[in-house]
Amino acid sequence: MKPRPPTLRNNRRYVLASIHPFYCDIDPKQMYYALLDALTSLWGDSVSSEIEMAVITCNNGYLVVRCIRGTEKMLEAGMVTLTGVNGNHLSLRPVATSGTLHALRKRIRSLPVISETDIYVSSGQKYAAYYYSREKVDLFQNDIRKQEKLNFTNRDMEIL
Amino acid sequence: MSQNEFNCTDACVHPFPAGDTSVRRFALEAKELGFDSIVCTGLSDPVPDAAIHVYSGMIIHENPINAVIRKVKKYSGKADVVIVDAGDAAFNRAAVSYNGIHILRGVHRVRKNSFDHVAARTAAEKTVAVDLDIRPLIYKRGSARQKVFQCYSDLMRLHNRYEFPLTISSNASSYLDLRSERGIMSLCSIFGLDEDGVGYAMGNVSRLLNRAKVVEVIEE
Repeated sequence: MKPRPPTLRNNRRYVLASIHPFYCDIDPKQMYYALLDALTSLWGDSVSSEIEMAVITCNNGYLVVRCIRGTEKMLEAGMVTLTGVNGNHLSLRPVATSGTLHALRKRIRSLPVISETDIYVSSGQKYAAYYYSREKVDLFQNDIRKQEKLNFTNRDMEIL
Repeated sequence: MSQNEFNCTDACVHPFPAGDTSVRRFALEAKELGFDSIVCTGLSDPVPDAAIHVYSGMIIHENPINAVIRKVKKYSGKADVVIVDAGDAAFNRAAVSYNGIHILRGVHRVRKNSFDHVAARTAAEKTVAVDLDIRPLIYKRGSARQKVFQCYSDLMRLHNRYEFPLTISSNASSYLDLRSERGIMSLCSIFGLDEDGVGYAMGNVSRLLNRAKVVEVIEE
């Protein structure tokens, strides 16, 4: 098939969003379906089809999504309403919009490194503590029935 | 009570133990999102070492207005921001006319037209803000979210006419529920609040706290 000449192609925009928490490992296909669901729920089928959303990359705590020029704001609103993918509670924070992927790649920062892990015990409950970004601590309690997660800082841990 | 001017405030978050995120972590994450202050409910002590300024907020759920006034008087001075849950039309009119109250929240939860033009005019005169909660816009789906959008569009019509203050809150119990100013702008544009309006609404908490106080008659 002969490719369409550049003047007849749709202009596209790329939106970069950070994924929180960064250690959430999400399959791009799952992310696509979750985002499409959020967009359809917010804007309806006809507007969602106009956006022509496609997930370009989804790894290392960042997501790059393609859309048609002029629909970036609608895509961002859809991203804001996404609360979870495949049972994982997460949020997307739009960082930048650009016409080229090259410009967006400059905005990607290196991921925080989990510097230390520890076991923390509070009122008989055992938590696995993960320290990162110098100040942040995430506590996980793995129970048979549920997984509880608490989000603290180093200062909170000192006080506790 | 702080007299500082903060231009980007999340008007209501619920830290640990009500939520899963501590006050300091909320402050840290909110700072990364571009906020310069947050209002936290359920705080017993001030948090001086937080990354941004933390206001203590108190939510009053009582229904007869007399009970609300009693509670405001009882706890006055213990919280920076006094927030009252909206009720029926008579309740809302009475609540926005009482000077000890800063914010009326949950307008989307009550019956349609409970916050009417009379309450809007009084809120503008008394400088009592109406809170726009973005949590139902994020978490609800289908007809439930449509009703919230309808309610906020109606509220915007009254706001454009009477110019009462608005505040914007994430009502977050986890830092994952916080949204950036950019994200809030794209959500609020759906029901007619433009970028300038969002920016002004986010600075309204410190303006409410710095509002002119009424003259008090002290009996000797």
